[in-house]
Amino acid sequence: MSTHVATISPAAGSAAAHSSASSVGAAANKALVLGVIGLAATGLGVAVSGKAAAFSYLTGLVFWVAVALGALFLIMIHHVFDAGWSTVLRRQYENWITCLPWLGLLFAPLLISAVVAPGLIWKWTDPSYDLSQIGGHGTVAQDVLWVKKSGLLSTMTLIIASFVGFGGWTLISSRLRAHSIAQDTDGDIAHTHANRFWTAVGLPFTALSMTLCVILWVKALDYHWYSTMFGVWFFAGAVRAALSLGVIITIWLWSRGDYKGILNNNHMHSIGMLMFAFTVFWAYITFSQYFLIYMANIPEETFWYSLREINKDGVFNTWGYVGMFLLFGHFFAPFLTLIHYPVKLSKTWLPRVGAFIATVVLIDMIYNVMPSLKNSAGDAYPFLSLNLLWIATSVVGVGGVCVWAYLNSFAKTKLIPIRDPRIVESLTHHE
Amino acid sequence: MAATFYGLMARFDTAPDIYHAAQQVRDAGYKNWDCITPFPVHGLDGAMGLGRSNVPKFSLLGGLTGFTTGMSMIWFTGAFDYPLIVGGKPYFSPLFAFPISYELTILFTAFATIAGMFILNWLPQHYHPVLKSKEILRGLDDAFYVVIEARDPKFDLNRAKALLSQAGAKEISELEA
Repeated sequence: MSTHVATISPAAGSAAAHSSASSVGAAANKALVLGVIGLAATGLGVAVSGKAAAFSYLTGLVFWVAVALGALFLIMIHHVFDAGWSTVLRRQYENWITCLPWLGLLFAPLLISAVVAPGLIWKWTDPSYDLSQIGGHGTVAQDVLWVKKSGLLSTMTLIIASFVGFGGWTLISSRLRAHSIAQDTDGDIAHTHANRFWTAVGLPFTALSMTLCVILWVKALDYHWYSTMFGVWFFAGAVRAALSLGVIITIWLWSRGDYKGILNNNHMHSIGMLMFAFTVFWAYITFSQYFLIYMANIPEETFWYSLREINKDGVFNTWGYVGMFLLFGHFFAPFLTLIHYPVKLSKTWLPRVGAFIATVVLIDMIYNVMPSLKNSAGDAYPFLSLNLLWIATSVVGVGGVCVWAYLNSFAKTKLIPIRDPRIVESLTHHE
Repeated sequence: MAATFYGLMARFDTAPDIYHAAQQVRDAGYKNWDCITPFPVHGLDGAMGLGRSNVPKFSLLGGLTGFTTGMSMIWFTGAFDYPLIVGGKPYFSPLFAFPISYELTILFTAFATIAGMFILNWLPQHYHPVLKSKEILRGLDDAFYVVIEARDPKFDLNRAKALLSQAGAKEISELEA
């Protein structure tokens, strides 16, 4: 292994990152201040709008959890395939996943609410919840669809699943990151092997725990619903968001000068191809979910989409337009854009496409969470409402914390894993 | 009948040699010329001044044809030629026409891509003037060749020879068509 080390200039990693450490530190503090302001504004929102702001916070938080888990998945996919080309990009994802424990901390208020104010977000945390206030009848405890699912849909399961999820993801991400950084110093191949171990354990664990958590957090907002695609849908969105964020970070570092001489056209092409592949994957999953429900035409499934298209009186509502926007904006637009070779190489266009995709992942998340907040007629509240403000404050609040965690880690680590056995292969990545 | 003159074939011994020679031939402005190498040489397309392939245009055309075929086939059978209510669904909806449409998109894209590759490469081609030369056997084994065709508008026998020798050709032979 050590034969490679001498040929790599350590300057590539350390000098650029550390010479501007103070400006990065200042940026990190700004991000944290912005995050705290956003979180405080969201707290104010909960005081003003109550339930609606709590749903908005869940939306913003789950969006950033998706980004972090997507980054974690990309690191693990890198290790499990023993990939070469993505080695120079991996470190930035390793920096990003330091936000996972903070996201767990930010999730705690939602769990506390499930105990002290049951029914605020998840109806089934309060069996005496009166369903007539959302256009139903009876209470949750009298609802056979909850009774049959009550083994899973309980406050205890929610708390345990969230703890296991965030705990496990934090453990796996910290191990993967620690081994990668330790290898910068000693160049020991054992770190690569250790990361393969953590990946082999981490991939199935993260896949299962993420599916369970997202079913409890998001899908079970409307606990009548059935969908076997939901976990995979979340995974597709998560990886798309993480890739988009990754390309934005990569180009930011390139324009700062850090990645000069490291990032070449073939890296751009490969990132672009992954973004394209996951665009198609998202479309496949989302279409399958819709299509199976449309074909089977079972009320326990179709109501979920009906709610997002028409009100009880048959009037087409704003969520119908959001759904159409997702179809064209989340699939056709990125598909037809990313299919072009020059777009994948463009340091101007690829981050723009990434920013667009990340935004639409957020809208997709809003589309999945917010309509479950129903009025007394059982209709969804309109898309364009004050809730968008609370979603914005939540996204800024949680996002600020994530960016702060990223920049903190960025200032402490080298730009690329300089002693990774695959680093030369990655630096000379070609078609 | 005397065979007509096809072009010049120049031998180079290493990949870097042919890479630099290709750059010089490219810069001299020749259009009808090619390189023969026993294995793919990375970056040679750039050194030869070749742009991106035109095959994707065929692929796009094939894909659009496939998608349209799928949609119109389902519409034709289900809503026009023999309207039949199935499962309480409308006669035609892009939703249930989508799976077959994207399958046909993929199928026709694949066909068009293969066809485009054949057409742009003038395949199948059972004869090529370089096959007359015994040198071609080395071109498939351990030597690298630049072939400049006489039909190139810039072609001038002496100048082309001079260019190739200056580029470091080990041996230059004339090819018959």
